[in-house]
Amino acid sequence: MKIANLEQLKEIKARGLRLTYPDKIKVMVGMATCGISAGADKVYAALTQRIAELGLDVVLAKTGCIGFCQREPLVDVIYPKQVRLTYQAMTSETAVALVDALKEGRIYESQSLCRIDQEDFLVEGVVRPYANPHPPELPPEFPRYEDLPFFSKQVKISLRNCGFINPESIEEYIARGGYQALCKAVVEMTPEAVIDQVKASGLRGRGGAGFPTGLKWEFCRNAPGELKYVICNADEGDPGAFMDRGILEGDPHAVIEGMAIGAYAMGAKEGYVYCRAEYPLAIDHLKTAISQAEGLGLLGEKIFGSDFSFKLKIREGAGAFVCGEETALIASIEGRVGEPRPRPPFPAQSGLWGKPTTINNVKTWSHIAPIVARGADWYASFGSGNSKGTTVFSLVGKVNNSGLVEVPLGITLREMIYDLGGGIIGDRAIKAVQTGGPSGGCIPEEYLDTPVDYDSLAALGSIMGSGGMIVMDEKDCMVNVAKYFLDFTRDESCGKCTPCREGTLRLMEMLEAITEGRGQEGDIDRLIKMSELIKKTSLCGLGATAPNPVLTTIKYFRDEYEAHIRDHKCPAKVCKPLITFSILEDKCNGCQLCRLRCPVEAVVGTKKEPHQIIQEKCIKCGACFDGCKFDAVVVD
Amino acid sequence: MPEEAARARTAYAEVTDADVVSGIINTYRDEPGNLLPVMLDINRHFNWLPRPALEHISDELKIPLTEILRVASFYNAFSLTPRGKNIINVCLGTGCFVKGSPRLLERLERKLGIKHGETTEDMEFTLEVVRCIGCCALAPAIRVGEATYGRVNPDQVSKIIDSYIETASL
Ligand SMILES: Cc1cc2nc3c(=O)[nH]c(=O)nc-3n(C[C@H](O)[C@H](O)[C@H](O)COP(=O)(O)O)c2cc1C
Ligand code: FES
Repeated sequence: MKIANLEQLKEIKARGLRLTYPDKIKVMVGMATCGISAGADKVYAALTQRIAELGLDVVLAKTGCIGFCQREPLVDVIYPKQVRLTYQAMTSETAVALVDALKEGRIYESQSLCRIDQEDFLVEGVVRPYANPHPPELPPEFPRYEDLPFFSKQVKISLRNCGFINPESIEEYIARGGYQALCKAVVEMTPEAVIDQVKASGLRGRGGAGFPTGLKWEFCRNAPGELKYVICNADEGDPGAFMDRGILEGDPHAVIEGMAIGAYAMGAKEGYVYCRAEYPLAIDHLKTAISQAEGLGLLGEKIFGSDFSFKLKIREGAGAFVCGEETALIASIEGRVGEPRPRPPFPAQSGLWGKPTTINNVKTWSHIAPIVARGADWYASFGSGNSKGTTVFSLVGKVNNSGLVEVPLGITLREMIYDLGGGIIGDRAIKAVQTGGPSGGCIPEEYLDTPVDYDSLAALGSIMGSGGMIVMDEKDCMVNVAKYFLDFTRDESCGKCTPCREGTLRLMEMLEAITEGRGQEGDIDRLIKMSELIKKTSLCGLGATAPNPVLTTIKYFRDEYEAHIRDHKCPAKVCKPLITFSILEDKCNGCQLCRLRCPVEAVVGTKKEPHQIIQEKCIKCGACFDGCKFDAVVVD
Repeated sequence: MPEEAARARTAYAEVTDADVVSGIINTYRDEPGNLLPVMLDINRHFNWLPRPALEHISDELKIPLTEILRVASFYNAFSLTPRGKNIINVCLGTGCFVKGSPRLLERLERKLGIKHGETTEDMEFTLEVVRCIGCCALAPAIRVGEATYGRVNPDQVSKIIDSYIETASL
């Protein structure tokens, strides 16, 4: 069937609602890559088997990631017209126990994370309560979803459906208001009106540079030429960031609908999603979604009975960070080596195959349908100043609650880390938070009250970037972190321009020397000078931002550099050439664990006698340190 | 799956393999800019890019072999040397890095007796590093073939690899 109007879309919506909220119990497993890596596939298999064994009449379904990756595998039980209960850290065993409880008509109480009493249908602006009128009484082990600090400050626009629908079902996407915005745009609005809405919303690109999206669209619309392209940048090269994966795996139609609206607004007939090959499941879900949308006529010819036609294709990346840069990405789609070229001309003038092209990030596209459906004012009511709306961060590293969080811009780093993130693992002291990936910087504790927005982060020498937020504690060495990023950029530099190719290599060599105790007086100034030079003279953003991790760590953690250079000490006890492992005689009771764990037989000693480490043999792998239950192994 | 992978791993010699390459080329024949998708599929099928396959592409798509080789060496996903049956990717993305993934890598290098980028003698394992597989919240993460493992410690990583050795000897 091809959907030709709103009426027909509503018919599918009704079907989708029955699928999403069936009239029998539905058990749902979060099966994004993060869930699977935590064991969700085993949980799913155990559920399937037990349900079959008991002949239980329930619906078993898969969903995307609701963001709380830390607590995965997550399983939900939806009791029709009552409540949805979310369970955390599930295993095959607890899965069986859960099914058994369902069979006996009991509420399974262990592994509880929260209860969800209502869901937001964001694009329609309605709230759908599970129970009408009274939610069931439940034990306090089930706090309300809105009361969990991890969720309470979130506003989910990009992530509106992740963890709520089956991403492989277009009906479920439509159930929650999907494709209504496309219908509205194509049937009721002129392309110019769509662009005006996007401009007025204040939406800025979520892929890195933060360029105003509406303006970019206008350039492309006004560029001469019949043939135009829209591209979704799903290269997500920032290591430590996985928002784009989360959205593509959990709600691929959100991106497709956004792109179709954009294509209508700009007059494009074809589009590409350029997705990194490291995300096989995202590519898989995207393929399914595109073919479903084609099946319903939401992609293809004469969409919603109009003259607008739009075809969407997927291109896989092949593992090159620089291909996230828009001109390199275009070269890669064209089948060439992914090297950037100087701009102008900008892609809006001359992009894919020389035609006007708009490239936006996954998150940027996923904001479009809600903006069109609810209006620019609604969207701009979130966020602050020059940074409107919400954005998704991947909150990872040394925080207690790691996962994907979507917050209004302007929230402070402290709220992110301590409220949503639940503080630092083991209550250790925070040292820095890294934003913006290899192009960004490390922000120290004293700036945690900085609002997270484009301008404030830039003022600190970092960037918003695409949304990676990596929290580091006292056990992370900042010189080593700078070296890590330089190793990355040196490796990923395409080599076309000299400042980036040679400059990152020089920086890397200097940092290597410092972490190995070969640093010299004056190195810090040399690092700064070289960094400034690379920033000024590189061809593309990769080189122009590569020194940021070095500059910010020098700016905020100069003492650590000095300790390495002058005292040959690594204060965080990370840099191997500068540390030694030894065993405290009075604490060691000769349990032998360290001796057995040592991969190179560097630990010697007899049972029940204090052990020793032979320094010449020690490779400083830390196995003894990790293994010791009596704190007898120390690092200096 | 193991037999299939084992077959793909053996050198590009049999007639059927030329058919595989033709099949892949045909899938994308009319696509503009089809070189990358073709190469990715071939790389996936054989676990590397055998020279005769590249010559085959060059003939069929009328692209100079030098250009194809340039593309092959530019992108990290491609390998111009044969790789093992199981490709192990240790994530060295920032999330995993701060959660100790370099130690997983060291452990695997010692266990397998190879450096990253290398393949074991018996062609069972290739050890590679990857910069983020999107499991940062469950760091450190590794991927073996298509299976992803999160929150792995050095002892577990050793066991995970053992499970592949056992499956291989069944
Ligand atoms: C080295 C480099 C890598 C980049 N990687 C990405 C990326 O992985 N994803 C992304 O969306 N943008 C990336 N960008 C930014 C893109 O060039 C481009 O600005 C962005 O896709 C535009 O989309 P937006 O306006 O929606 O942000 C990168 C830029 C540079 C210089
Ligand atoms: S940093 Fe390892 S999965 Fe992202």
